[in-house]
Amino acid sequence: MTAPRAAIYVLDTGPLITLAAAECLDYLLYPNVPVVIPDAVFYEATQDSSKLGAQSIIDWVKAHHTQVEIAVTNAYVNFEAARVTNPHVYEPNLGERAAVEVIEEPARLQGEEKAILLCEETAVTRRVIVREREKIIEIGTMDFLKLLEAEQRIQSADAVFARALAAGRTPSRVEKFGEHDSSVHDAVRETLRVAQRDTSPKR
Amino acid sequence: MTETERAEWLRRYSEARISAIELRRALGGITFGDVLIELAKRDLPLPRAPEAGREQRIAAARALLFPKAA
Repeated sequence: MTAPRAAIYVLDTGPLITLAAAECLDYLLYPNVPVVIPDAVFYEATQDSSKLGAQSIIDWVKAHHTQVEIAVTNAYVNFEAARVTNPHVYEPNLGERAAVEVIEEPARLQGEEKAILLCEETAVTRRVIVREREKIIEIGTMDFLKLLEAEQRIQSADAVFARALAAGRTPSRVEKFGEHDSSVHDAVRETLRVAQRDTSPKR
Repeated sequence: MTETERAEWLRRYSEARISAIELRRALGGITFGDVLIELAKRDLPLPRAPEAGREQRIAAARALLFPKAA
């Protein structure tokens, strides 16, 4: 029997930043299924380049562009357009709205395809009205790590959380990303531009 | 907000009594990266969802992601 197709949807910044801080983003690729990150979640995870993980996330997305999709959303495109007139515009639920939009896209979860929703915030999945609820499984970062541990793909889920916190404790790592401020911002913009260019207009 | 209040918010998050969004909003819209740094400063662990009741979900996700192992 053919295994049902699946994809991992990273619905908020928590898993990305935790895995980036622990230098374990590649773990998302271990199941060898597509990884989908809504554009606004990518933006939020990388917008403050002086914080943990931003540069790692950008580099990782670029290096694995065939397996990692930055999903373009109207929520983010509209936000970006609003920023042209007001660079200080702030949208508190941008990532959440983009995540819901991606999951609810009619072109996704077709046929036998199922989705693993990786997120720390159940608020996101509470808002999702998926046509067929049995097509999705919501797990947190620790659940995902425990799963890899059970598969003997990693030694210890706990060690990953410990490494993420250790990175937060190390000033050299925290400051490292701040040194490249403008280049990081340019890289974020470029990654999102490429994603938008490669996606046909939805509106 | 005083340091004591800030520490209390972080402790509640660390003990999985509030969500990251609640914490981030309470602390003025800080990023998740800031949360990691703030937890690390105070030697607080990242929160864990209680495992009881989640085994089935983890097993289902495992079967989907690693079908040969199922």
